[in-house]
Amino acid sequence: MHANDIELTSAAAARMLDDGEACFVGIGTPSIAALVAKHGHAPNLTLVYESGAYGTVPSTLPMSTGSPSVASGASCLGDCGLVFGDLQAGRIEVAILSAAQVDRFGNLNSTVIGRYRTPKVRLVGSGGAHDIASLVGRTLIVMPHDPRRFVEHVDFVTAPGFDRGGNRPRGTRGTGPVALITPRAVFGFGGGDLRLEALQPGHDAASATEGFGFSVPIADRVEQLEPPTRREMEIMARWTR
Amino acid sequence: MTGTSRRSLALSVAEHVHDGDTVFLGGFGHAVPFALGHELIRAGKRDLVICRSGADILADQLIAAGCVSSVIFGWIGNPDVGIAHAFRRAIADGSITWEEWTNWSMVLRLQAAAWGVPYLPAKVLLAGDGPAVIDGLLRVSCPYTGEELAAIPALEPDVAIIHAQRADESGNVQMWGVIGDTVVGALASKRIIVSVEEIVHTSVIESSPNLTVIPAHRVAAVCEVPWGAYPSYVEGAYTRDDDHYVEYDRRSRTPEGVAEHLERWVNVDRDAYLSMIDRHRLATA
Repeated sequence: MHANDIELTSAAAARMLDDGEACFVGIGTPSIAALVAKHGHAPNLTLVYESGAYGTVPSTLPMSTGSPSVASGASCLGDCGLVFGDLQAGRIEVAILSAAQVDRFGNLNSTVIGRYRTPKVRLVGSGGAHDIASLVGRTLIVMPHDPRRFVEHVDFVTAPGFDRGGNRPRGTRGTGPVALITPRAVFGFGGGDLRLEALQPGHDAASATEGFGFSVPIADRVEQLEPPTRREMEIMARWTR
Repeated sequence: MTGTSRRSLALSVAEHVHDGDTVFLGGFGHAVPFALGHELIRAGKRDLVICRSGADILADQLIAAGCVSSVIFGWIGNPDVGIAHAFRRAIADGSITWEEWTNWSMVLRLQAAAWGVPYLPAKVLLAGDGPAVIDGLLRVSCPYTGEELAAIPALEPDVAIIHAQRADESGNVQMWGVIGDTVVGALASKRIIVSVEEIVHTSVIESSPNLTVIPAHRVAAVCEVPWGAYPSYVEGAYTRDDDHYVEYDRRSRTPEGVAEHLERWVNVDRDAYLSMIDRHRLATA
């Protein structure tokens, strides 16, 4: 059985989570990635959802952070104040985020395509994404390989990564984005600028950056990622097949 | 609420929601107050300013029905399905205005009002493009540390509409499961209207007072409305009708489609509404 795009992305992201961490997760691929880690190498990972849930191991993939499977699998159900307060106090180590656009500085856009007041496409807005990107210890970004999503500068910085000098902007904490994970590659942000660091099975530098709106530097040594293990595939199958 | 008894949806809305009010919508995915929200539409309310952190399809339906002049939100869409189509059309044609925060800053705005302070300091909305599109957002320098913080202003809605599992006739509201920003949003508001799955005897409330999230003295009206949060869900009663959200996405892509959806699901009496719900499939109790 070959891994599909969501499985490749989720498994690669999962390997960047450490046992014992608290991980702020959103809906979709971020949830799958955290669950792969939780059921594999990181059994003491705590999934945190913005609705107020800690320790959730959802049996079915939730459609909303407030969905029944977020609540029924939780070990602690507080409210938004509990989880965002914890986040603001610096108690949450890592988050997995996605968005409509990401740029070479790891800034995320989930607000508008085009101009803010007269957008081409009006999107959903920040939700917790701005808050998480500003306050969490480090951020993993997961994206499908859709060239429209990878731009030199996002149309709107919903969730801040690095500024154009490669530094974390004033008014943020944490190390910021540490990786952009796609079904084709893993990119790092050493120096605050996107760089190709590892390839998914079957891809090379050209296919990994196909359609990007800017040229992507390549690390001196590009790692070759292992495909998801049989065990990881078994774990993921219940949500992805 | 003192000495008053249960109210109908129509009477509660007529007494406590006025055109032009700022209305907090409860329900963070869980216990979204669809029955009360649909009553606002049937009552023909106008120029409402609706607010909450993460706004889902109830907000979009109020916009589609022409009840809304402005939205204050941290997120607006159809979770894991798509965007809010009526909202998108309304900002494109200029028929509503909007004010865009984040989920945490919306919670802080409500918390400030609930605690009676003019603002709360926060470590968000200091970077990115979000701060620049919020008119009048100010910063403060911490008098103790000198740290620069965002001054998140209090938001005191005129009225909150929320749904919960149960309450007694005097208005002590008990809710469990996902709370999100529902309780803080209610407590921030001048008046609170609650629909519940079940009105219970006060002895039930007093047997587990920790479950009471809003004390009776803050509550203006309580309505008993089983399935009052459908198509969202109520922990311990029924699960979320995910298909309904997908269907709403499809229908709401055009003004005609959303009008048909509202005709079918809002312009009906309660018995007809209940008869359209697949209660056998969704009930969990």
